[in-house]
Amino acid sequence: MFSKKAIKSAFESMMFVLGEPLEVKTAANVFGVDKGTAREYFRELQREYEEEGRGLAVREIGGGFQFVTRAENFEHVRRLCTPAREKKLSMAALETLAIVAYKQPVTRGEIEMIRGIKCDRMLEGLLKRDLIEETGRADSAGRPILYGTTKMFLRYFGFAGLNELPEIEDIERSVREPDESGGVRQFAIDLEGQV
Amino acid sequence: MSYKVKLDVFEGPFDLLVYLIEKAEMSIYDIQVSVITAQYLAHIEKMRAEDLVIDSEFMVLAAILIELKSKMLLPGAEPAAAVDEEDPREELTRKLVEYRRFKLAAGLLGEIEEDNRAVLEKPGEDLQAFTGEPDEYLRMDLKKFLQSFRMFLGRKQRIDEIRRGYTRVARQRATVESGITYIRELFERRNVKILTFRELLTPESDRRQVTLTFVSLLEMMRANEIYVSQEVIFGEIVIRAGKFRAGAAYAAEPPAGKDGLAGKAGEKRSGRVQ
Repeated sequence: MFSKKAIKSAFESMMFVLGEPLEVKTAANVFGVDKGTAREYFRELQREYEEEGRGLAVREIGGGFQFVTRAENFEHVRRLCTPAREKKLSMAALETLAIVAYKQPVTRGEIEMIRGIKCDRMLEGLLKRDLIEETGRADSAGRPILYGTTKMFLRYFGFAGLNELPEIEDIERSVREPDESGGVRQFAIDLEGQV
Repeated sequence: MSYKVKLDVFEGPFDLLVYLIEKAEMSIYDIQVSVITAQYLAHIEKMRAEDLVIDSEFMVLAAILIELKSKMLLPGAEPAAAVDEEDPREELTRKLVEYRRFKLAAGLLGEIEEDNRAVLEKPGEDLQAFTGEPDEYLRMDLKKFLQSFRMFLGRKQRIDEIRRGYTRVARQRATVESGITYIRELFERRNVKILTFRELLTPESDRRQVTLTFVSLLEMMRANEIYVSQEVIFGEIVIRAGKFRAGAAYAAEPPAGKDGLAGKAGEKRSGRVQ
């Protein structure tokens, strides 16, 4: 049996070596502890790093934990080297991504209905950046592809899970009664007819 | 000369419509269709004047707005319409509300994206060094495996052959100064004035030691501590002790250059000895 201190210490070393988020499951298996305990240890480490204001932070990402730098230190890190960063997402890409994130699994048609404009190029770009992925096919006519967000999406925005997406329901919950879908579809067909 | 107006870029027809509604400080739930339709069409006209590519979706929404406007103009007193009290704007409103919701979400995501760009993560490590990645070997068939094994044996044989010719060389730590000290002490210990070069060496002395002793002699000659003579080429080198100087600051002595050649040799070496 290992002491809690030893396990936490080992988790730190493991996170350091891996770089990528270390799955709680993997870490728990190493010590034969249950996932809940392992997650608790990770969260304790996270708190400790936070409270001590360390230059590293323990970030939770989709069921795993990883070391990241503290945002406040970014300017200092940049003096050392200029970290290569991807281009920021365009507003159109963010809109598309937001719809996928909140509505997943979602088809292209549904996204286009909300945005009122074609989204194929946006989806392509998001797929390429590994922020979204195909998660299956809908049962509706034509079996359209369903899209969902990836683990990369969580990492890109620093979300522990999808539950950390900002709340937007307070504006107005969109109601989509079943009998309305006919009208909605009609609009979609109109769109495609014009294209 | 044409006057160019910079227009905001709209992500789609809904984006434009929401913008116009908000700009007019209109409630999204009570759109004044005729006002908005006029503004919408005017904006599309501006876009056209700007030579912007107008996506067909903008035109579709224009058509929908015009249709809506005409519906709103119809008197709602018809008996059939009274039963179905639905506001013709309702569908559009619902879509705009939903669009606005996601536009807001996109804005929030954009802010989070910006914040998160200052947080850096380490690229995933290549853990092959730790795991040894056995898969690569397992994918081989027996023939390939044998071939690799033979290659390994062959290579090992070759390396062994080369190794046989190797001698292990330990790093020598002796310096010219230690050589000089040794020679001085040898003279003093034996209490003699004359020694031969051979006597300075022991049977165990290797090539390096011989060289070191010789170089030490040259150094001492330069300082006139000893006098050296050799009767014939390859003959015995006879060393006669002169006046030894005390102290170790030997090599720090600037090359006196009494004998041109010895001086030069000393100069070269003094740098290395220090």
